[in-house]
Amino acid sequence: MDREQLCMLKELMALEFTVLEFHLYLDTHPTDQRALMEYNSFVQQLSVLKRQYQDRYGPLTWQEPSAYPWQWINEPWPWEICYE
Amino acid sequence: MWIYEKKLQYPAKVGRANVQMAKYLITQYGGPDGELAASMRYLTQRYHMPTPQAKGILTDIGTEELAHLEIIATLVYKLMDRASLEEIKAAGLGAYYADHDRGLYYVNGEGVPWTAAYIQSKGDPVADLHEDMAAEEKARATYEWLIDLSDDPDLNDTLRFLREREIVHFQRFGEALQIVHEYLDSKKYF
Amino acid sequence: MFTPNDQMRLARAYVPFQIFSKRLEPMEGLLKGTIFPELYFPYQRHKK
Repeated sequence: MDREQLCMLKELMALEFTVLEFHLYLDTHPTDQRALMEYNSFVQQLSVLKRQYQDRYGPLTWQEPSAYPWQWINEPWPWEICYE
Repeated sequence: MWIYEKKLQYPAKVGRANVQMAKYLITQYGGPDGELAASMRYLTQRYHMPTPQAKGILTDIGTEELAHLEIIATLVYKLMDRASLEEIKAAGLGAYYADHDRGLYYVNGEGVPWTAAYIQSKGDPVADLHEDMAAEEKARATYEWLIDLSDDPDLNDTLRFLREREIVHFQRFGEALQIVHEYLDSKKYF
Repeated sequence: MFTPNDQMRLARAYVPFQIFSKRLEPMEGLLKGTIFPELYFPYQRHKK
């Protein structure tokens, strides 16, 4: 995996992690409006970056259109990546 | 249902192959306080939670634990992958090799296979949430002993991430417990 | 030791509710394992 892709992948991990943290917080604080606003804003940012990443490097999840041949099985799989 | 995302939650690195560490670390894969036990515990307890907050938090933390299971698998895979047979024998993993080669299997550090007896599902939300909070503390302690055993800064970086997640999960279960208590009290004295 | 208030009862465990105030930037949060600074308790190795 080249530098550029790895860098984008880590950005994606960071945004997704932020969304997860707000998600868990909101499960037990469903009426915290400030946290909800932050959550919605990060969901928006995440979806933009995910779109860019998938357009460039192929599908990250189900129900994504695929170029030919079937892109889902392209290597590397997550455990094969060198994250250095 | 569940949908797979083809990425790790955290960029899991190891500095070098290390079979001895793989042998210690695999307990977080298939051991009593490991990630498989955590995920299975929360995902099966959620059906008897009385409030939406508790159903949500058990579903979501149970799902996050699957992401942690994948991180542990990645670490063990990387620690074992390039190891020679000599190194495997020297680390006391000859018996493991005879059954699995370098394949991943749900065992603790001593080779005992995962069992549902590691978890409970009492059907009592207060008792189950206490078990969940204790499980987070036991996993936190396990990560600390693993960090003590390891001299690989890259590996420890990921172990520290996983340890911190246990603390956040404890906090959320504690909040869910409070919400459940308030709900049960309100029913009693209505 | 803290003093229980009148909404607390004996024989019950209490974890104080987090009140969200600030958060870390996404990359810093990821590397620390939480985006909430008040929940960040890093491990200090024991002397053994």
